[in-house]
Amino acid sequence: MSKKVLYGLYNDEETLFSAITKAKQSGLDIMDVYTPFPVHGLDDVMELSESRLHIAGFVYGALGTLTALGVMTWVFTRDWPIIFGGKPYFSFPAFVPITFELTVLFAAVGMVLSFYIVCGLGPFAANNPVLDDRITDDKFCIAFDTTGMSQIDLEKYSSFFDNTGVAEVNTKII
Amino acid sequence: MEQQFTFTGKQKTFFLGLMALGAICLALTYLGDTTPHHERFWTNFLHNSVFFTGISFIGLYWLAAHTIGYSGWHIGFKRVVEAMTLFLPIGLLLLLVMIVGLYGGFHHLYHWAADGITDPNSANYDKIIAGKSALLNKGTYTGVTVIVLLVWAAIAWMMRRHSLAEDKEGGLKRYKSMKLWAAVLLPVGAFSSAFCIWLWIMSIDSHWYSTMFAWYTSASWLVSAMCILTLIIIYLRSQGYMGHLNKHHLHDLGKYVFAFSIFWTYVWFSQFMLIWYANVGEETVYFNNRMKHFPVLFYGNIIINFLLPFFVLMRNTTKWKVGSLTFICIFVLFGHWLDFFQMIKPSIWAGLKHHAHEAGHHGAEISDFMMGFHFPGLLEVGTFLGFLGLFLYFVFAQMAKASLVPVNDPYLYESLHHHA
Repeated sequence: MSKKVLYGLYNDEETLFSAITKAKQSGLDIMDVYTPFPVHGLDDVMELSESRLHIAGFVYGALGTLTALGVMTWVFTRDWPIIFGGKPYFSFPAFVPITFELTVLFAAVGMVLSFYIVCGLGPFAANNPVLDDRITDDKFCIAFDTTGMSQIDLEKYSSFFDNTGVAEVNTKII
Repeated sequence: MEQQFTFTGKQKTFFLGLMALGAICLALTYLGDTTPHHERFWTNFLHNSVFFTGISFIGLYWLAAHTIGYSGWHIGFKRVVEAMTLFLPIGLLLLLVMIVGLYGGFHHLYHWAADGITDPNSANYDKIIAGKSALLNKGTYTGVTVIVLLVWAAIAWMMRRHSLAEDKEGGLKRYKSMKLWAAVLLPVGAFSSAFCIWLWIMSIDSHWYSTMFAWYTSASWLVSAMCILTLIIIYLRSQGYMGHLNKHHLHDLGKYVFAFSIFWTYVWFSQFMLIWYANVGEETVYFNNRMKHFPVLFYGNIIINFLLPFFVLMRNTTKWKVGSLTFICIFVLFGHWLDFFQMIKPSIWAGLKHHAHEAGHHGAEISDFMMGFHFPGLLEVGTFLGFLGLFLYFVFAQMAKASLVPVNDPYLYESLHHHA
């Protein structure tokens, strides 16, 4: 299913912010906003709900903790008990560094993979078109999905860009 | 933008009341002490002096690090940190009392200060301490304490002077001078604080040493300083000051408490695990004593200083909500005070036990649970509140001397628009 996207490019984030606020006030439905770098406060202006990625990260981390502790405990007390330096089989302090590492590893890898899947990036994504190459360089973009829109609505969306300090307005089918 | 803080009579009375409470507690500890050389009194005095002097020093170090690092977000509350650094001369006075006690033989906290300890012909001769006597002697203790604290206090004063002059003059000249002093302090402070920590606290265990100790102690200071700073800012906001700060400032302060609680745990554990793993008797004696005879302090330390802030401050909302942040800061501040308590008291207790044992039944009876050693009693808590009152009195008095906002700081605008 291809989409007909109407998008405007801005030169800096200040004009972008005021344009987003104006679009929100006019009740326009923003498809997405693209920026070349993370812009602080953008999620507040766009009224996005808080990301749940960190909750997933906590779960992955806890999974890493349990995996590390579980495997080490099983190996060193049941499967192949060896005495190291006169310490007991279950030597918790010796397990801590590896538990820490696996917690970080699970949380980091899990969050990156989740992020890719949620964003439709990486080898899992079938189709990932780019609206404009300059979005990854120095342009800030507000995009509207205008697929199957009536002429009146289309007028409303196009005229929104007037007087918002936009540098350029384009339409693209993706 | 200028904001003048008034140190009200009510606040003054409250802090003076706390100081009076502390003085009464110290006096009661001294009079009611059953230990042979008033160890309970002297350890309490040393404990609180080192704790608050360290917080003041860390304030200076933190300020210098932010000045050097082109930081902008802290400018909005920079004057609070500056006021904290100006407690350093009082810290010197407090430690001078320890030095007087050292020369007068009033306290026996430091075994290396005993008579004849380096004299091979003396009955008191201790070969290990004699080998360390180049560092562990009264002259070095005095010299390092006085010179280092004077240098820190001087740099704090210079930074403050330029900061105040900047308010009047504007321009970048004063800003550059502050950067210069900050650059001087960072290396000087890093090395000299390690010497102070070794002499003030680690040398209580004269035979023992740990290369992680200075890291561990300064991390404890850092978390305490962040907690006190956060609490002062929250208090000022509740009194109608600091309206220019937003929730992102609190969020970042919360991140500091969170991150450095983890850092503290990291260095604490690094020290513990190296010693546990190597299992060398000379080193394990330190933890053996604490784990066997002080389990509440030893394990409580980890719970209150790691598990509590770690799980409570993990969410972003708890870092910027005043209620949860206040709760955690109070607990963690007390937790790190307890951390210093367990650095000092168990060693003194072990020494008392050792001497009582050597003296047979003629020596003073040292029981297995001693209030004020195994657990802070009411007198310890009162003393802590007294020193806290002293610290806050000076901080508030300094805050009242200048505008709470450094109006001409080149980074002020960035701080006002801070977004985490």
